Amino acid sequence: MGLTRRDFIKASAAAAAFAAVGVPVVRPKGAQAAEEGITWGKAPCRYCGVGCCVLVGVKGGRIVATKGDPAGPVNKGLNCIKGYFLSKALYGKDRLTTPLIRKGNKMVEASWDEALDLIASKYKEAIASHGPDSVAMYGSGQWTIHEGYTASKLMKGGIGTNNLEPNARLCMASAVVAFMNTFGSDEPMGCYDDLDLGDTYILWGANMAEAHPVLFSRLIDNKLKHPGVKLIDIATRRTRTTKMADEYIAMRPQGDLAAINAIIHVILRDRLYDEAFIKQHVNFKRGKENAPYGLKDKEVFNETPADIKNLTFDEYKVMMKQFTPQWGEKISGIPAKKIEELARIYSDKSRKINSLWTMGVNQHSRGVWVNNLIYNLHLLTGKICKPGENPLSLTGQPSACGTAREVGTFSHRLPADMVVMNEAHRKKAAGIWGIDPNKISSKVGLHTMEMFRAIDRSELKCIWIQCTNPFQSLPNVSRLRKAAEARKAFIVVSDIYPTKSTEVADVILPSASWVEKEGVFGNTERRTQQWFKMIEPPGQAREDTWQMIEFAKRMGLGHLFPYSEKGFYKEMWEEYRKFTIGVGKDLAPYEAYAKVRGLRWPVKPDGKETRWRYTEADDANVKKGEGIKFYKAPDNKANVWFRPYEPPAESPDKEYPFWFSTGRVLEHWHTGTMTGRVPELRRAVSGATIEMHPEDAKRMGIKNRDKVRVTSRRGTIVLPAEINGRGTPEKGNVFTTFFDETKLVNELCIDAFDPLSKEPDFKKCAVKVKKA
Amino acid sequence: MPVSGIVVRCLDGCADAVAGRIAAFEGIELHGVLPDGLIVAVVEAETVDGEVALVTELQDIEGVISVQMAYHNFEDLEAERP
Repeated sequence: MGLTRRDFIKASAAAAAFAAVGVPVVRPKGAQAAEEGITWGKAPCRYCGVGCCVLVGVKGGRIVATKGDPAGPVNKGLNCIKGYFLSKALYGKDRLTTPLIRKGNKMVEASWDEALDLIASKYKEAIASHGPDSVAMYGSGQWTIHEGYTASKLMKGGIGTNNLEPNARLCMASAVVAFMNTFGSDEPMGCYDDLDLGDTYILWGANMAEAHPVLFSRLIDNKLKHPGVKLIDIATRRTRTTKMADEYIAMRPQGDLAAINAIIHVILRDRLYDEAFIKQHVNFKRGKENAPYGLKDKEVFNETPADIKNLTFDEYKVMMKQFTPQWGEKISGIPAKKIEELARIYSDKSRKINSLWTMGVNQHSRGVWVNNLIYNLHLLTGKICKPGENPLSLTGQPSACGTAREVGTFSHRLPADMVVMNEAHRKKAAGIWGIDPNKISSKVGLHTMEMFRAIDRSELKCIWIQCTNPFQSLPNVSRLRKAAEARKAFIVVSDIYPTKSTEVADVILPSASWVEKEGVFGNTERRTQQWFKMIEPPGQAREDTWQMIEFAKRMGLGHLFPYSEKGFYKEMWEEYRKFTIGVGKDLAPYEAYAKVRGLRWPVKPDGKETRWRYTEADDANVKKGEGIKFYKAPDNKANVWFRPYEPPAESPDKEYPFWFSTGRVLEHWHTGTMTGRVPELRRAVSGATIEMHPEDAKRMGIKNRDKVRVTSRRGTIVLPAEINGRGTPEKGNVFTTFFDETKLVNELCIDAFDPLSKEPDFKKCAVKVKKA
Repeated sequence: MPVSGIVVRCLDGCADAVAGRIAAFEGIELHGVLPDGLIVAVVEAETVDGEVALVTELQDIEGVISVQMAYHNFEDLEAERP
């Protein structure tokens, strides 16, 4: 019997897997024929912030296959399990295909004209009666760069309000503020190559094996090839990552603030620091302390230049004397001996040290401070801006960096690290946008938490939400859902599937997703990746840019978007690119991205990418002989901040004795809008569970899969217990995921946030647990 | 029926044992055990659901570090799109 078409496809599958691990295999002749008719196009993955390169196979107008892109430097031909759902996430039966308008309790089909006319009339009405700050737009780190840029220009340059926010406020705003106040420029100095080149990796509360599996594989590859490579997992929960670590160090929630201060104490006490590096590259500063937690509406807290005190190195050393390892142990639960050891590891001149973190540090009521403290470790020991030796904050969304951060879709930002409060920045933006500089408001807009609270206060009249699901993902979500259900604001939601947010919308607009449109994403390592449209969106679904520009026309702002239909993406890109040139954030011409698997900015004058910033070894902005230069910081020096310990907003007590934390699992992504849609993915990890420590469970008579009631001061929920499953929280801690739309776990979360970054702390609040 | 090409990474010294376990799975063809703890296999199932169920099971085998996917073909799945 001869080989079938199916055998040939299997041969192709095997050959691709062999090729990905460096074993060339010659496919049988028929294998090539079996793939005939498939057109392959490149795209970054739709899911997390890693930015894996994938090849998408299209036949007859439909996606029929995907591959890890062998030419992709991020993932080198391999995808994680979410790769199985890449295209299927677009093909769910309940895709939104037509605009819908609320008529009483019903959503009724409407034409695009009807829907857009209605939105424009509501926005006009609100602006006429209450001014431009009575309207808002809430976007996403899953927006393409063009989408974020359109939104920024429309809201800030057109409507004249800074009420524009991305959901990235919820995931890496703390990282942004710390990059800015430490180095004067957002985003990392290092890149993923550090995962291949380093020898010591210290994870601060990051479950990389599940949240960033492809990067974790690179790290593990390095470890398997080089037995000296050490992986230390400091966390409040044992995970899949822990299994691969050389050492697991248990830490209490909020303990990072104390532990890192104590490590720094030892580095200073025992003179383990790099004096020459400090002298040349570092300033010492003390900021504002006794910060609030944002629990009160309209609470204002800022760290202005007047609040910041310059310190000498000696003054800093004296101030750090209080943070002894014994003190650190008392608060963090990490033994003093271990703190001493970590100080020695961080300052070991023979080791290349990398710190890695994600939401544990960023979703933290003192998240900016912990980011600052991690940078302190690297700056005091001079272990930064070197190949294989850097701190790296990992992001969660595919273009949180490219769109939210680089385009600047936050309520205080403009493109390329500029801010609305700065007159020169407003003038530069207005110049590129061809508008009167007075059109851009100098008033910082509402940050995410305040934006949604303002709906409840009836101060915000209209909000347009695109590409995100805030009525599931925000903390203390019941207050916000009630406000929306009471129709306190006119709510528009653009998405690809029905969500907990479309449920409360007045208008639902069907969007095109991923390769149903052209786009550009920017990933964690400053890599900008472009893709072309490969398939048509279903029904009447349209790109988010089209939706916004059609709205702009109805608002009399069509002139802001003068691009031709054919040259739309390139023309808008070239305009946006002007913001980035010559300021250390240089992007390449649009055509350059069509050819490559992304380029890491700043792109050099010769078109080459930059892997390591601030070093003459790779960054064209640093002259030969200058070594390392933090050229974006005011006097070319980075800041070491004195940041003391302050407790979280809520800690366990007699009535609510457990710490409650939320997070992600490998198979699901965020609120499950795309991954939950796919039945097989939901079945792999069927619903939210509550992970408990086995001893806590035993003490309370709770067995695996028993129903358990978890109650906080804000809400209550029943979940099945998971004991000795994939993750095990430390004693006194419970953990759950937030993907399951049937269990709104965020009703339990406190809406406390970091006073500097305004990023909520999803990782710490107090709950009681009872067998249900 | 969807088909995928996967790479299973194993702990040092575990690849042969893991390969033995994988060989017993219905729907997974073992294609190679490489010297550095890597296994190449092809997964096929009636649905993507089935593929993921298999891959999820693989991930839980003792000695498996990770399962990654290099190639996924699902051309004969029925279009669900409205």
